[in-house]
Amino acid sequence: MLGSVERDLAHRTLDTARSRGASYADVRFVRRAVEDAVVKNGHLDSVDRSEIFGFSVRAIADGAWGFAASPILTATEADRVAALAVEVARASAITKREEARLAAVKPATATYTTPIEIDPWKMRFEDRVKLLIDADAAMKHAQPSLRTTRASYEIWREEKLFVSSEGADIAQTLYETGASIAAESVGEGEQQIRTYPGSGGRSQNTAGWEYALKWDFVQHAPRIADEAVALLTAKQCPQDIRTSIILSSNQLMLQCHESCGHPIELDRALGTEAAFAGTSFLTPDRLGSFRYGSEHVNIAIDSTRKGGLGTFGYDDEGVPATEGWAVKDGIFVGYLMSRETAAALGTVSNGTVRADGWSRLPMIRMTNVSVMPGSAGTLEDLIADTDDGIYMDTNRSWSIDDKRLNFQFGTQIGWEIKNGKRGAMLRNPTYTGITPEFWGSCDAVCSESEWTMWGTPNCGKGQPGQVGHTGHGAAPARFRNVQVGVVK
Amino acid sequence: MTELFGERELRAICDKALKASEGDGAEAVVVTRSAALTRFANAAIHQNVVSREAELRLRVVRGTRVATVTTDRLDDEGIRRAAKDASDLAQLTPENPTFGGLPSDRALLPAPSAYVERTAQATPMDRARAAKQLCDAARAAALTAAGYVSTNVQELAIASSLGVWAYAPATTSDAELAAIGDAGSAFAQRIALDFGALDVAGCAREAVEKAKAAQRPRDLAPGAHEVVLEPYAVRDIVSFLGGQLTGNSVEEGRSFVIGKLGTKVTGDITLVDDPFDPNGLPRAFDLEGQPSERVTLIEHGIARAVVYDSGTAYRTKQRNTGHALPANPSQPAAPMHLRLEPGDRTREQLIRDTKRGVLVTRFWYTRWVHQLRTIVTGMTRDGTFAIVDGEIAYPVKNFRFTQSYHDALGGTLGIGSDLALLVPGEQFGLQVSSYRVPALRLASFNFTGATQY
Repeated sequence: MLGSVERDLAHRTLDTARSRGASYADVRFVRRAVEDAVVKNGHLDSVDRSEIFGFSVRAIADGAWGFAASPILTATEADRVAALAVEVARASAITKREEARLAAVKPATATYTTPIEIDPWKMRFEDRVKLLIDADAAMKHAQPSLRTTRASYEIWREEKLFVSSEGADIAQTLYETGASIAAESVGEGEQQIRTYPGSGGRSQNTAGWEYALKWDFVQHAPRIADEAVALLTAKQCPQDIRTSIILSSNQLMLQCHESCGHPIELDRALGTEAAFAGTSFLTPDRLGSFRYGSEHVNIAIDSTRKGGLGTFGYDDEGVPATEGWAVKDGIFVGYLMSRETAAALGTVSNGTVRADGWSRLPMIRMTNVSVMPGSAGTLEDLIADTDDGIYMDTNRSWSIDDKRLNFQFGTQIGWEIKNGKRGAMLRNPTYTGITPEFWGSCDAVCSESEWTMWGTPNCGKGQPGQVGHTGHGAAPARFRNVQVGVVK
Repeated sequence: MTELFGERELRAICDKALKASEGDGAEAVVVTRSAALTRFANAAIHQNVVSREAELRLRVVRGTRVATVTTDRLDDEGIRRAAKDASDLAQLTPENPTFGGLPSDRALLPAPSAYVERTAQATPMDRARAAKQLCDAARAAALTAAGYVSTNVQELAIASSLGVWAYAPATTSDAELAAIGDAGSAFAQRIALDFGALDVAGCAREAVEKAKAAQRPRDLAPGAHEVVLEPYAVRDIVSFLGGQLTGNSVEEGRSFVIGKLGTKVTGDITLVDDPFDPNGLPRAFDLEGQPSERVTLIEHGIARAVVYDSGTAYRTKQRNTGHALPANPSQPAAPMHLRLEPGDRTREQLIRDTKRGVLVTRFWYTRWVHQLRTIVTGMTRDGTFAIVDGEIAYPVKNFRFTQSYHDALGGTLGIGSDLALLVPGEQFGLQVSSYRVPALRLASFNFTGATQY
């Protein structure tokens, strides 16, 4: 955990910022260690370890914001960066239309460390790599014809110190672990992929190596390999039909991320992301009354829940982790807020501001935005309860408009559902819709036993670009009368 | 204002790192960057950032065992620690028989300079004034404004134990404006290596005039429409297809040119990767310090070549064309200086040539649906219009499309004569890519849905 050396520099930085005219300033020191390893086609393709350490200053001067950052940890540089942040703020003021305001928060003195069972940084490197080699081999053994097999992990440790001119002093150490396997097949004029446990890159949690172990890759590898090959000749998903769909837990989590997590970001709703990430159909006049989904839809904002990538002690403005609701019984009731955007709504922040390392400006990011479980039992119960439809599993493609209304998703695999039974495998499944209509068609969410906390470590936002790590719990859920199939 | 580290200092850092490394070989890559971005929304600056970063990325080789360590501690102790960490880690990694070794020293051809001192000297107030110019232009038209003005300075230095040495500084400046009304918006962007030559006024004029015409969009039925694509949208197509024109994509079986080199894959377009284009973001070498070649990827619609890094070239027994990205497992190489060769029609002529169609300003949130078939889905955004009888007739609500990009180019009806320089955001922590692309007129584009605005 960062300590007195960084704290002394932080106070010097704040003193300089104040002496230059800042009415508010905060300083963040961040030291981030990351190790990524990839086994591809039976060989360790890459291992990449990094440790990056620096600090940044955020300041209000002349009623406007400035920010400056540096990796040089000296008193001279602290003075330079503090002065530069104030100079930048004064430049911002030439377009000022109103004074920068911050909602109140009680300055905290605190520490927080992610609870972990197995510290990956204290393991033997060879033991981490063995997990990948064994999983990769199990895929190739099951299906030698696979064009590409991959297994990967990422371990992450971030030490942060936040000190503000209001008196906050918060040190945190956050751990993350993620892992995944992927099988790619080519043939018959087709190219298909299956991944496990989640989609694309990897699923990740704030956790130790126990998170990588829990997925039992060697056991699941043959199934993933078999499905990747079977997809080459599987039946094409039907085109341009409307039907019932059941989304797997890991697909529903991305649906939630894109069509709920982003539109409840208050910075988007207030227009400050308009040129890039976009705005939101969930405008402030809709807060508390807009029907976002059916009564089965309950979506929580919770940065206290164990394991989520949005789980921490305090956000990067020194606001403590909180629990709340974005959608309750289908009604839109809550935003993700910063101190500045909360002030614009006349309320207080719920602590959702984070930055991608020391060199980036803290901004509103999803914490853990989760579809809470319903009462539909297990996935098999839900399939048994469905006369006709399609079960879609694991994301392959995702896209949504800049107000977060029109979306289209593709999954890696699907199955017909006929008379309550899982039928033929389907390839290239896609579905599309308009967000509130889609969530309004949800008539069942599986129970707690099917609920999983997933993590997306690759959420892009901001200019300059930042990569956010967000958590999303979900269980399988059913949606009625959904438009399916655009790929012929 | 930014002072460069300079070639001598970065060479010294690389030399220290190589000297401190143990094993059979090592490669040091140093990236420094000073990024300043003044962002505005609701016609006022709300995020204004300056950061300076410098990182050493050290790859150590022991036989066919390889490990990479990155640090931003560039003092002697930090470099020594990184070298020891990489050397120790390489000893623990299993052998990788598909690794062909570090590339050797090869002569670099001279490329035009991409560094302009005036950009490095830009101040926070310089950027704020440019941002204010954009905001004021929008407000004068009763619109609001969102966007940014940025200046970037970066240095890239690469050295290896096999004698590789390459160094290049570069600058870019960028102005982006979304002019937003109550019921419609429009987008414009300008990029220049020289901040003094950045066409802020042109950016403002383009976005504001288009935004005035974009208000109160009407419904237009989705379906296959003829389109005129502004360069912002064309860049997206070129970017997706360029990513498939690599040895790695062919090796993994997901490129649309597999088995089709020498055959027609698009309409009459020519796509070149030209690291020496003086009007792009030129750089003579790739991220392994290898000489980057000018490669014609598609010539009058015929697939001609793909690009390689050293590793993929070794595995597939092809010649390294010098297109390595920073060593990474998912995308080892890419064309980084793509130019879609210009045609003979002005943008206005392309519109006039269109009896009925859709003018698209830019795409948004584009993602692969099926790589092998180059099927992409995404939305139109910030200025979509119906074209009727060769005129921009009225704004239309934004579409979702699901379209094979190379199939779309199969219906190329016209190519704009002016090329826009466009640079995406940072990739792998630096600005590695640039695009020069024209407007295009395509016979058919598959709009599969629409949104509510």
